[in-house]
Amino acid sequence: MSVTVPRGTLLVEAAKLVKVEVPVFCYHHKLDPVGACRLCLVEISPGPPKPTTACTTPAAEGMVVKTDTPLAVGARADILEYELVNHPLDCPVCDKGGECPLQDYTFRHGYPTSRIDAPRLHFKKPIPLSEKIALDRERCVLCYRCTRYYDEITWSQELTTDERGVHSYITSQFDQPLKSVFSGNIIDLCPVGALTSRVWRFESRPWDMDHVPSVCSRCAVGCNVTLWKRRHQLVRVTSHENDEIDEGWICDRGRFEYTHVNSPDRLKVPLVAGAEATWEAALTALLEGVQGRKLGIFLPQDITNEELFLLRRLVDGPWQDARVALERRTLLAPPQGETLPIKDLDGCKAIVVIACDTADDVPIVNLRVKKAVSKLGAKLLVVHPGHLDLDRWPDTFHVRPNPGETAEAVRRLIGHELLQEGPVGILYGDGHGAEDVDALTQAVVDLAEAVGGRVMPLYRATNERGALGVRLAGRQEDLEGCDAVILWGPGRPPASARFVAAWDSVPRPEHEGADVVLPSATFAETQGSYTNLEGRVQFLRPVLPVTPPLREGWDVLCELGQRLGMPDMDYLGIFHVQRQASRAVELFAPLADPPAPVPNPTPVLYGPARP
Amino acid sequence: MAEGQSDKGGHNVIQDVAALATGMRTTLGEFFRPVVTTQYPEEKSPRSERYRGRHYLRRYENGLERCIGCELCAAACPVGCILVIAAENTEEHRVSPGERYAKVYEINMLRCIFCGYCEDACPVQAIVLGPEYEMADVTRERFVFTKEMLLEPNPAEERPLIAGFAAGEPAPTVEGPGMTDQPRPTFDHRLIDTADTVERS
Ligand code: SF4
Ligand code: SF4
Ligand code: SF4
Ligand code: SF4
Ligand code: FES
Repeated sequence: MSVTVPRGTLLVEAAKLVKVEVPVFCYHHKLDPVGACRLCLVEISPGPPKPTTACTTPAAEGMVVKTDTPLAVGARADILEYELVNHPLDCPVCDKGGECPLQDYTFRHGYPTSRIDAPRLHFKKPIPLSEKIALDRERCVLCYRCTRYYDEITWSQELTTDERGVHSYITSQFDQPLKSVFSGNIIDLCPVGALTSRVWRFESRPWDMDHVPSVCSRCAVGCNVTLWKRRHQLVRVTSHENDEIDEGWICDRGRFEYTHVNSPDRLKVPLVAGAEATWEAALTALLEGVQGRKLGIFLPQDITNEELFLLRRLVDGPWQDARVALERRTLLAPPQGETLPIKDLDGCKAIVVIACDTADDVPIVNLRVKKAVSKLGAKLLVVHPGHLDLDRWPDTFHVRPNPGETAEAVRRLIGHELLQEGPVGILYGDGHGAEDVDALTQAVVDLAEAVGGRVMPLYRATNERGALGVRLAGRQEDLEGCDAVILWGPGRPPASARFVAAWDSVPRPEHEGADVVLPSATFAETQGSYTNLEGRVQFLRPVLPVTPPLREGWDVLCELGQRLGMPDMDYLGIFHVQRQASRAVELFAPLADPPAPVPNPTPVLYGPARP
Repeated sequence: MAEGQSDKGGHNVIQDVAALATGMRTTLGEFFRPVVTTQYPEEKSPRSERYRGRHYLRRYENGLERCIGCELCAAACPVGCILVIAAENTEEHRVSPGERYAKVYEINMLRCIFCGYCEDACPVQAIVLGPEYEMADVTRERFVFTKEMLLEPNPAEERPLIAGFAAGEPAPTVEGPGMTDQPRPTFDHRLIDTADTVERS
């Protein structure tokens, strides 16, 4: 087999193109190669008469690579035997068992039996690295993927190795718990069961779960995730690599904030005045309650595009004077003109981050900025009053204006020496309300014009961009003075409210004493789509069934519309809503073309981090 | 030829008497042979050592459950009749050695084909098929055997876990070698025992 690849492509990547498996532990396509584990040995000619690591050798013109010579096969089997010298072989109780590269490679490349009967090195296990992650040092193969991830990708050096040689082990710096919001990715990265999730711990084996690719519901980045279910419970969330958005990373919010879906407190039946009722009765009570009152509607950040479209129709029609607020929204206006897509951060020569703590508001964009800076050599400028995660880069040019003066500081950047070379990416947030957003936006646009850059507004709420597209993104303060409110999601009723309807998946203290309570479906159950901060529409794929009497939001909104006497509210299904929304709202045009159903899952070769 | 035979058979009295005597001999012979019929249910026939009947979940001598909740039996089961839900042992609540135990362990005996694959798959010889086969019952629900029904009695406990059997008594067996005295491969404690780990951290 022969293959032609771009200059600099490593042999492991070239081998993937011709579908030859070269086993790897330390190599990961998003990390720099180190050649630490020696598992990827192949023979090359012309070259020295000894096995060479495929993960550190770039392909060259005329190079012949042999993976199946006795020398290469034997060398890899020997390395695997070495890996198993101190391995506890407790696969039956290991959460990686079933999707473990060490198991798979030992089957495919290792010796069938073990020659080792000497005592093994033992460590205390498991050691909690944080609330969410457990470390089992006995299982570690010292590939350094986890420590390299912390060095290269998150810049936070929270994991390190101690001792030397066979006694080396992974430990957190100064034995402190991991604090980074990106810690969960090391679970996917670890090629063995040394780093495992404490949230998913012993919850299920990989083979008894079903999984679908979906979209994260926790912020406006819109990372792609894989949702895993067992026995009608959402038991795990892992990344689903999409190089245009997340590059295979997700933050800890996206990874671990799913347990409310399985909560035994989940609301399942509508309540009217605290007593269980039918949907019929509950919607009647709701419509009576809001009748003739000044209506305020609070929306959850993860409301879908379809629900927004239907709500827009309601607010255009019978609920004309309703005010609408969106959870966690920024004050930013919809962007004018073209914006910078997330994937184009890679091509930027300089990146300016303005008035936004990216690690908190848009975590994975933060990682993309770090990649562009540390791996691709972009310059980094930050305009923010505080101390940020991005300051870990020694060459960050950080301007600290007083809160409220960011706009002037941005204007002063025009003509800055670091911005001489383009393309320039300008990312801006709203300073969490401390800034005059209109002035700031104008300054950002001026800066972009002056340096020939493109802007990326950093919205916070998951579907804020969609809500802005249908003009339904007010603020919580806007609800003041409303005397009837519908609290969809975790909103607080204003003092003036005399009728409160709560619509949520779990009971919340702020919904205490609501007149009507409606159960709502979560991101794992509902059909629909989100628009992420760059305006990309991505479809959710429900992994759990909607068990009656639970109903999806769009379905309930349709019924409300029908009861209010609106025409054309009797949609045939969500696809019908999507078709109409795609024609009516420019931003929702991609809704006309929902993706095909999930293809059959392919066998997992490298653990869940790989697509 | 057919005519000749019929002539002979029809008219030879000696031959008839001889045939009668042969029949009587067989009858009388059987009368004095030892009886092989088993008077079920008063009596039960012995089963082979490898007979595969109702399952048991075994314990260690110290009373800890063997099962580590690994679900390998469930994965091996060709009909999918085993459900295992695992949980983590803590120092205060220790059910099995090591980190993991089965919080829920159920076998649907109506679906089970008694193939014994679960027993083969188990890395700690926790699930075994015993000699008992009388499992008739009146509702389908009662054929879902829970962990409490499957567990061996706890030798360390006063109260027997399986109703009707005294504490410390071996798991119920009928005539013939029972499952508790079958030779079993010895279990390699290094696999899951953490008691002898070198503390370092
Ligand atoms: S803990 Fe996992 S990722 Fe880290 S060095 Fe060990 S095997 Fe590699
Ligand atoms: S960055 Fe945002 S979209 Fe991505 S995983 Fe985290 S919360 Fe979800
Ligand atoms: S004996 Fe066979 S069918 Fe029955 S539980 Fe075991 S594996 Fe399943
Ligand atoms: S019975 Fe054996 S195979 Fe089944 S879960 Fe328990 S330990 Fe695992
Ligand atoms: S993968 Fe090549 S040395 Fe580890």
